[in-house]
Amino acid sequence: METLNLLAAGPELILAAGAIILLMFGVFTKGESAAVTTLWLAVGVLVLAGIFAYAQTGDTEYAFGGVFVSDGVSRFANVFMFFGSAVVLILSRDYMIRAKSMLFEFPVLVLFAVLGMAMMVSSADLISLYVGLELQSLSLYVLAAFRRDSTRSTEAGLKYFVLGALSSGLLLYGSSFVYGYAGSTEFVAIAERLKDGDAGVGFLIGLALVIAGLAFKISAAPFHMWTPDVYEGAPTPITAFFATAPKVAASVLLVRVLYGAFGEVADHWWQIIWFLSAASMLVGGVAAIGQTDIKRLMAYSSIGHMGFAMLGLAAGTAKGAESVLIYLAIYLVMNIGVFAFILSMRRDGVHVTKIDDLAGLWKADGLSTFCLGVLMFSLAGIPPLAGFWAKFYVFQAAVDAGLIWLLIVAVAGTVISCFYYLRIVKIMVFDDPADAFDGPMLIENRLTLFGSAVLVFIFVVGGLGVPEMAAEAASVFAK
Amino acid sequence: MDAFLLEYLPILIFMGIAIALGLVFILAAAIAAPSNPDAEKVSAYECGFNAFDDARMKFDVRFYLVAILFIIFDLEAAFLFPWAASFGQIGMFGFWSMMVFLGVLTIGFIYEWRKGALDWE
Amino acid sequence: MVSAIVLMPLLGCLLAGLFAKSLGERMAQLIPTGLLIASAILSWIVFANGNTADPEIVTWFTWFSSGGLEVVWSLRVDTLTRVMLVVVTSVSALVHVYSMGYMEHDPSKPRFFSYLSLFTFAMLMLVTSDNFVQMFFGWEGVGVASYLLIGFWHHKDSANEAAMKAFIVNRVGDFGFALGIFGIFAVFGSLSFDTVFEALPEMAGSTFMFLGWEMDILNTLGMLLFIGAMGKSAQFLLHTWLPDAMEGPTPVSALIHAATMVTAGVFLVCRMSPLYELADGASTFITYIGAFTAFFAATVGLVQNDIKRIVAYSTCSQLGYMFFAAGVGAYEAAMFHLFTHAFFKALLFLGCGSVIHALHDEQDIRKMGGMWSIIPLTYLLMVVGTMALTGVPPFAGYFSKDMVIEAAHSAHTNAGLFAFWVGVIVAMMTAFYSWRLIFLVFHGERNNTPEVYKAAHESPKIMLIPMGILFIGSILAGIFFNYIFIGDGAHDFWGNSIAGGQHIIHEAHHSPTWVKKAPFFAMLIGSGMALWIYIARPGMADKIRESAGVAYDFLLNKWYMDELYNWIFVKPAMWVGRFFWMKGDGATIDGAINGLSMGVIPTLTGFYGRLQSGYVFHYALAMIGGVALIIAVASTGGH
Repeated sequence: METLNLLAAGPELILAAGAIILLMFGVFTKGESAAVTTLWLAVGVLVLAGIFAYAQTGDTEYAFGGVFVSDGVSRFANVFMFFGSAVVLILSRDYMIRAKSMLFEFPVLVLFAVLGMAMMVSSADLISLYVGLELQSLSLYVLAAFRRDSTRSTEAGLKYFVLGALSSGLLLYGSSFVYGYAGSTEFVAIAERLKDGDAGVGFLIGLALVIAGLAFKISAAPFHMWTPDVYEGAPTPITAFFATAPKVAASVLLVRVLYGAFGEVADHWWQIIWFLSAASMLVGGVAAIGQTDIKRLMAYSSIGHMGFAMLGLAAGTAKGAESVLIYLAIYLVMNIGVFAFILSMRRDGVHVTKIDDLAGLWKADGLSTFCLGVLMFSLAGIPPLAGFWAKFYVFQAAVDAGLIWLLIVAVAGTVISCFYYLRIVKIMVFDDPADAFDGPMLIENRLTLFGSAVLVFIFVVGGLGVPEMAAEAASVFAK
Repeated sequence: MDAFLLEYLPILIFMGIAIALGLVFILAAAIAAPSNPDAEKVSAYECGFNAFDDARMKFDVRFYLVAILFIIFDLEAAFLFPWAASFGQIGMFGFWSMMVFLGVLTIGFIYEWRKGALDWE
Repeated sequence: MVSAIVLMPLLGCLLAGLFAKSLGERMAQLIPTGLLIASAILSWIVFANGNTADPEIVTWFTWFSSGGLEVVWSLRVDTLTRVMLVVVTSVSALVHVYSMGYMEHDPSKPRFFSYLSLFTFAMLMLVTSDNFVQMFFGWEGVGVASYLLIGFWHHKDSANEAAMKAFIVNRVGDFGFALGIFGIFAVFGSLSFDTVFEALPEMAGSTFMFLGWEMDILNTLGMLLFIGAMGKSAQFLLHTWLPDAMEGPTPVSALIHAATMVTAGVFLVCRMSPLYELADGASTFITYIGAFTAFFAATVGLVQNDIKRIVAYSTCSQLGYMFFAAGVGAYEAAMFHLFTHAFFKALLFLGCGSVIHALHDEQDIRKMGGMWSIIPLTYLLMVVGTMALTGVPPFAGYFSKDMVIEAAHSAHTNAGLFAFWVGVIVAMMTAFYSWRLIFLVFHGERNNTPEVYKAAHESPKIMLIPMGILFIGSILAGIFFNYIFIGDGAHDFWGNSIAGGQHIIHEAHHSPTWVKKAPFFAMLIGSGMALWIYIARPGMADKIRESAGVAYDFLLNKWYMDELYNWIFVKPAMWVGRFFWMKGDGATIDGAINGLSMGVIPTLTGFYGRLQSGYVFHYALAMIGGVALIIAVASTGGH
């Protein structure tokens, strides 16, 4: 364990080196076209890192003296985060140019954020956890406020920063408790210590605070209040980014902390997760109904989905972890598809995000409507689409763990959330057409939307291998 | 007094010396220094602003920028001291670790230089 | 190669269905048709190169595995499958070609071709399945495609009703089929054919208790599966949908309701031959039902006036033949009759289509007559089809039908004997109603307005060529293939795909001479009566009709089966449905849901909206409150 073992951290090193080099490249070149070049290079770096992560196989490996781990879970998460972020970057290009915000810092910040996420999912120590988390969060704060000329964007960034600082404080405070009672910051050592005897109440407070800090990052209720405001205020590509990779990273981190470090005291924390999960599912369902802005709606949608993901977590079994991974992968693909569409909603050159703007889209663009409809049905969890299977796996894990009441809440949440997803479909298909959107959709948006819809559609065919990958990844948590 | 608490003894001594030294300087100034006050001299000084004013006044953001940049190098120095002190023990690994750290910091420095953060005008 | 055969129709369906606009109407027809022709050619190659040893299994991928249940998408290719592949793809390809002419004036051709290809894909999945789940997939797939095609002209109310009827009646059968599958999983713990077949002998004779009755396991499973087959193959009690299904376009009738889908039940029974060999009770039941259906449908067919319905009842009747053959253990004979029947029945249907086409959608044979000089080619084709159907040597039906009837006799059981006599009588009736159709349509007086006859015309080449190929098949299929299907080559040909070891058909070859001749003479009598009544003594038919009043009405109204069902099932179901709709759904469920969704949820949403104030300190407060709450939750928990 006491070795550097740089190869295990290969994807992260590629990202770090890539981000630094691109920062230098950007600062020594001028103009929008150079920024676009930086963006494409950043995509290249992400793809490279993704291929590296995908190619990593074999046993669990530790690096940097045991604070960093590369195992099935981190590789699974890395692959989805890297490729997802690459797609989001590609989708951002046109929007950022139109918004006159195409600065080279944008792709570089995304790279740094992704680096932070990769650190998070690979952390094996409370300190590396915190460093990764902060690297990600600081980048995201800046990204949220990226449009300096827009008050909404600045407000979003500031709100996110202030509340994020609070959550970091909670997390650190909790970590100090845990360190105080366990005598180590390493997950393995904490788990070892917890095997020996009963955890004290101080330790439980630490545990609760750590969970609270992480719950903020995945925007689980009641730590979710920032989400709609930030999603709405941030530039749309950045909202798309917020809704995808960071959610995967924080959820996987939560899995890692709860299973890796605190696996021995599962009968303490499952109630917390139970509560967060139930609250998130209900808030995500109930609050989304009143929304008129599709970005806010997607914010509540993501809150609800995180609630469902935590349903698998609450099960506390290896199968639960597996179901969470599957859920996150599917969630990522669906959201990228939906945002690919939202990003192309322009009327007279102005980006619009009201749900009513979608009215009667069916007549103007049948294929896109169909794809978006498929994604909405999938988000709502209608069989046989992927979203259904995502729910199926977490429900199954919850059933096996006997979480009947939580399941009842989950079913209620699903039913409520169906309403607003299907309302979008209804508005698109049956309402009187609003004015048409500008021009044809860009090819990258169209391809992403279509591709995502197709994936969601054909997931039923053997799950495209995702369940097997997740099962293999989650086997590290099998007792 | 058990051995555990005894480990904290140097800190206690350190604190004692610090307090004593502080008191000595204040007392020495009070006893030895010439005292010739006027209105400007007795007003509190803070970064070129009036001490008692509306808190919501505008001030140049560049002050803020300089302060932040200062903190980075401040921390760098704070990190370099223990590194230098233990350099004998940590070997080549320690050396290269610090070089990487400084390299990353330099990248940031180059960036802010190029962006003009260091130019006042 | 087999994968290509199965997947090409799916590709055609998707291309024609999704990209019709960009492909253009012409390409949307040509592509599925071309793909199917390719599929058919490959099928014949597979058929010709087939080896009879163990089945060839092509595994695609695991569909799902849950607990002890693992379901794999894989194709099983043995002789039984190869025969079905050839039948399905050939008839389908010909029907595709034919439809290009028949549907020429229809505005939604791409949709039609897409459905046709979809059906073919589902049918191929059914016949190539290697496990019950995949078979059920194909089974339901053909059901859906059939629903879509029967209701293809969805502006016609009668078509929609017929489509629904077909779907609902099939639901009854599918319920039995599904129960059978559940039962098989419960008994054998697997749904793969190989595993189940291997385990079968151990289960022979074992019983289980149901409501205090001791029941034989294999017989019960066999009965349940057969109920599924009854629905799909329109056997008596579940036959009512088939005549109504004639509302669909005629090529659909030829493909689905003559040659392929309706034979799925026969295929199922033959596929399950290892099971039925051990389940005597179920086999006997099949024999009786098959024989009775053959009789029932033939009697109804005698008096119908709709050209397509006559052929539909004839199909129903012939399916009865196949079933009783399978019931007595002559699966080979059943499959052979299925094979030949596909050719001549498809030919007859396409011929009917040609007649209907010529007369601008007239289907009532009382408004036809004297058509032979107007559409001579169609006339020729239909006469040959009829000869094949009625069993004139050496046409296709002669070999297969006689074999079926002889096999029934050779079974030496009461059921077999019953089936034999019914078979002979029905052969006579078959000849009668078949020739009646030909005579009324093509001979005699012209019973329609001169304008109609003036406008009547022979069908275009694109319709005649497929009919020509079927014509050749109807003539030669019997001569060519009887050796390998039911002759001395049968043992090598079928290999392990059918259980039972051909002893019935061997015995059938040594039946007494009178047994062998009986169907032939029955056919002659039937044909002669038709000739006498409709050609030699015009007007005699009316007299018979008047004197036979009640009996005639009874047959014309199909034994009043529809009325009976209407009275027993449909009306009460409607009543129950309406009750639940008004009281259950309307008052209870809608009331509760509306209350929730219109009252409670919006209140919550509104309340939540006020919480989401936009102020950072409110949000921070919520977070701190949340932390307090979860600490409380955590510390109350524990062991």
